Amino acid sequence: MGRFLLKRLGLALITLFLLGVFVFIGAQVLPGNVARRILGPFADQSAVENLNHQLGTDRPLLTQYWDWITSFFRGDLGDSLAYHVPVSSLIGDALVNSLKLAALAFVLVVPIAILGGVIAALKRDRAIDRVITLGGLSLSVIPEFVTGIMLILVFALWLDVLPVSANAPDNADPLTQIKYLLLPAFTLVLVLFGYIARITRAGTIESLDSDYTRTAILKGLPRRTVVRRHVLRNSLLPTIAVVATQTGYLIVGLVVIETLFNYPGMGRLIFTAATQKDFPLLEAAVLIVGIVFLIANLAADLAYSLLNPRIRYAAAE
Amino acid sequence: MDETQRRVDEIRKESTELENHIIDQFIEGKMTRRDLMRRGTVVGMSIPLLSFIAAACGGGNDSASTGTGGGTATGEVTAGGNVRVALIQPTTAPNPLLVQDEGGAGLLGSTGEFLSFSNSDLELEPRLAEKWEPNDDGSEWTFTIRQGVKFHSGATLVADDVVQTFEKLINPKGGSANAQSALGGVLSPGNIEAPDDATVVFHLDAPNGNFPTLVSSANYNAIIIPADLDPADWGKTFEGTGPFKLQSFTPKQGAKFVRNDAYWGDKANPDSMELKFYDDEAPMVLGIQGDEVDFVEHFSVSGGKALLDDPNVQVIAIRTATHRQVHMRTDKDPFTDKRVRQAIALSIDRAALVDGLWEGKADLGNDSPFAPVYPATDTSVAQREQDLEQAKQLLADAGASNVTVELDTWNGFEIPDLAQLIKQNAAEIGVTLNLKITDAATYYGDGVFGKSRWLDSVMGITDYGHRPVPNVYLTASLSGDPKIGVWNSAHFKNDEYDSLVQQYVAALDLDSQKGVAKQIQELLLDETPIIFPYFYNFLSAAKPNLKNAVSAATGQFDLSKAGFTS
Amino acid sequence: MTIVDDPAAPIAIPAAPDQATVARRERLRLLLRSPTFVLGLVLVGIWILCALFGTLLAPQNPQFPDVLNKLAPPSADHLFGSDRLGRDVLSRVIVGARSVLVIAPLATLLGTVVGTTIGLICGYYRGLVDEVTMRLVDAVLAIPVIITALLAVVALGPSRRTLVLVIGFLFAPIIAKTVRAAVLGEAQLEYVQAARLRNERSPYVMFAEILPNVMGPVVVEFTVRLGYAIFAVATLSFLGFGADPSIPDWGHDISENYVFINGGAWWPVLFPALAIATLIVGINLIADAIAQTFER
Repeated sequence: MGRFLLKRLGLALITLFLLGVFVFIGAQVLPGNVARRILGPFADQSAVENLNHQLGTDRPLLTQYWDWITSFFRGDLGDSLAYHVPVSSLIGDALVNSLKLAALAFVLVVPIAILGGVIAALKRDRAIDRVITLGGLSLSVIPEFVTGIMLILVFALWLDVLPVSANAPDNADPLTQIKYLLLPAFTLVLVLFGYIARITRAGTIESLDSDYTRTAILKGLPRRTVVRRHVLRNSLLPTIAVVATQTGYLIVGLVVIETLFNYPGMGRLIFTAATQKDFPLLEAAVLIVGIVFLIANLAADLAYSLLNPRIRYAAAE
Repeated sequence: MDETQRRVDEIRKESTELENHIIDQFIEGKMTRRDLMRRGTVVGMSIPLLSFIAAACGGGNDSASTGTGGGTATGEVTAGGNVRVALIQPTTAPNPLLVQDEGGAGLLGSTGEFLSFSNSDLELEPRLAEKWEPNDDGSEWTFTIRQGVKFHSGATLVADDVVQTFEKLINPKGGSANAQSALGGVLSPGNIEAPDDATVVFHLDAPNGNFPTLVSSANYNAIIIPADLDPADWGKTFEGTGPFKLQSFTPKQGAKFVRNDAYWGDKANPDSMELKFYDDEAPMVLGIQGDEVDFVEHFSVSGGKALLDDPNVQVIAIRTATHRQVHMRTDKDPFTDKRVRQAIALSIDRAALVDGLWEGKADLGNDSPFAPVYPATDTSVAQREQDLEQAKQLLADAGASNVTVELDTWNGFEIPDLAQLIKQNAAEIGVTLNLKITDAATYYGDGVFGKSRWLDSVMGITDYGHRPVPNVYLTASLSGDPKIGVWNSAHFKNDEYDSLVQQYVAALDLDSQKGVAKQIQELLLDETPIIFPYFYNFLSAAKPNLKNAVSAATGQFDLSKAGFTS
Repeated sequence: MTIVDDPAAPIAIPAAPDQATVARRERLRLLLRSPTFVLGLVLVGIWILCALFGTLLAPQNPQFPDVLNKLAPPSADHLFGSDRLGRDVLSRVIVGARSVLVIAPLATLLGTVVGTTIGLICGYYRGLVDEVTMRLVDAVLAIPVIITALLAVVALGPSRRTLVLVIGFLFAPIIAKTVRAAVLGEAQLEYVQAARLRNERSPYVMFAEILPNVMGPVVVEFTVRLGYAIFAVATLSFLGFGADPSIPDWGHDISENYVFINGGAWWPVLFPALAIATLIVGINLIADAIAQTFER
């Protein structure tokens, strides 16, 4: 177990290092002169060159890279070119917002999807199973913004029960904040439902067919008790593992949803940083996204191997 | 002789030759009342005095109404209150030297003050300058600085603060690009003096009849800051002399201000003012329809259509000179032949643009920077209209067939819509335009020839913000002198044009300005290096219960007298 | 399975169709009987027709702006209403199929070719080449694909060619992983050893021997990725990465007209959205059905 973890961690670190190099090189390749970005198209060329020199963008690449990497580890992520505040504060705010939305979506999708998967498994091959499986599949392949727009049209426009923007007024109480986040969260529920429900269904079916279950039923235990006590617990293991793999995406991958609902999360931050050519912000944000994604996936792998008895026993040998 | 006439004569005796000339033009009917107010305030005459003259001397009548004026409905309001304003996200840090967008201008003007305030009628209202006067030929302007004014920190405003503010702005090493575009060629560093604490004298490079406008709020970087304040630090305190002072500022989110009880003028009515930054227009529109904000500083027709139709929203429309320039490179095929350029210009259905894109809230453009809102514009010059037959004829005469051009621009405002409509119009005369629409950073590039799609493209669309006088459009965008024509995307080079512009800039009185303008307008209609399709209105919105809020075409707003009716 | 060439054996007479062809025909029969496959085929077929014959089928010129009649609700004149510039939404939806159905398949093809090649090389050679390539692949996949895609498009500038290249190269690693896994399985088998013993050159072994045997997973990957490619194209154009907005494009049209939802103009947004949904669901139904036949 320990060795397995260490190996994964090692690989993750190598990947992160490569990511950092990609990001740095990528930012150099992005069209756009740093000082020109700050001073704007109408400024004098000499002023631009002056500023570039001040900012150190004319130094050799390796020096700049080393500088950047070492400051990153010191916690100094630099200042945003556009907003002139520490990048860390911008990222901090965006990350918090992303976490809020991810949490709400998580809390909603897990029970709903599990319920759907279990029902589909219990009523296997019947109409309800078909509806849940096919419906889930269809919803999951449709782009998030399409699903989001449908929900907006129905709930915000025609029924007028929820707001279009995801931004609650300042200092709103948690309940109001949740109300504003409902539409984007529910969009995510629809997007992820199919995948999670399918895994739950498969796991439940496997449990239902297992020897243990058959024995329990033969022993006379009511089916409901069997389902509750044994089947559910076992079918949940792969589900939890799978849900864990989606966490990374939920926190940092929601560019489209955030654009649609004008929500200031990590996805949107990266998008604006990229289009504004705000290099310090962009580089730091992408790296942080990589780290979060990696941690989430690592945790998912860990959860999966811990919960899946087969792997656990294999690793113990 | 009656009392009024006597008063008028007295005023005349105390006025300079220039001021008398203005009064003459008004009496002779060559100037409308509105123009009188404008020209008069620009040269330093006070508004009460001008109103008296206008009333006493009758004279010309008002030209066509300029829309609904510059503010919300006026009236009695309850004292106090908190006014919430929706402002587009500033794209730079709050630094008076770096700001070059509306959001930033809104920040600067929230606590800072100018020598004078350019209102929606293009009149100059005194602020930190009590009055101003030119010398005989307009090459020297003397401003009297208001005394007893304190900055929010407690320091007293003196003339040297004004001098240093402008020196910093026009400093070639690190000044304000925007201010320099207005004052380049007009005022050079080291030519501003403060003979005493209450006087500032500007020694200009050349006579300029419109100088006071160039240092008013129309030049939105020109808020007066303490001489010893580094502009890069301004964002920490928002130091200024205005009726509001800073309470808190959160980048990317907003700012809060409270009433300045030590203000030199009438104390602000609201207790506080809150600015909220929005990345996009849609949430702003929703914000005022919901209950997030009371005032939207600026919204566009396309994004805010809902507001135009909403009876629960006050819409303020100000005529401006904000426009788009559709340039055609005169030195590259197919546009080397001016007949081809004229043909494209004639293919455009301008009326449809004004009605369709702007819901009528725009003035027709006649392919020159002379917007109808300027008093110097000669409106007798015939308005160019769509004429497909003539356009096709011109193309045939020029021997141009199967013309295909790439049109470069960026995806802000209504520009993509304009591009698509122009593309369709051009298709009707057999010209194919391939659109290449990117983002602002890509289109503007490095902002210099050779490194900017804006300046290098064969055809492109550029957005220009409002300026109270057309000078900078005439010079920077069209001058053949590479040191002056830094924005000359059409690579236009015409000696007659350059000499006419020189005459225009030096002209001190309206008559001569108009005369030269007519020649420039006609020349540009003939050469058509750039198509100016329209000049659109500046739109603000306010909740119905918000009164006495004032908007200005430069994107600034004045809420000092604002308040809510119950 | 291919039959090992034995140089000493008599020349084989072309006999009845070999096992591979029989299997293929059987698969096709199964597909045509599957309701999901047929439904998918119908949905996708409609859009392919639109892509091919769009200009004939469209009732009006999709690029013709009628600004004075913009945002008109559905009516006899405009069955799906008109958009922000007064263009006919129905025509734009029909012709818009072309945009997606040209870019997405090209991108998927590119990704499949590159990815399969990489997968073959890594799975066959193993060792250092494999390790290094897989680490690079992991680095590319270290952040959500959509973010990598949008950064690449911002860097290269929006154009249809950029979209094809970006999406193609982003899919390559994912496809490479799948192909590599399949190749790892095949590389142990006898026919590969035999080919090596015959001193066949490596590229021959990879492409002529192994590749035909992993075509199954490759085809499945292609169809699945095609769905994702359409997804990616729609999403990227929604985020604003098309160069010429006058050309009908579902994602782009949605983002352009989205702001008018507030005023109640739902039609220029709903119909392209439905178009995207039906096309993607159709492709996925087909992909699913194909995958299932391979699983039997």
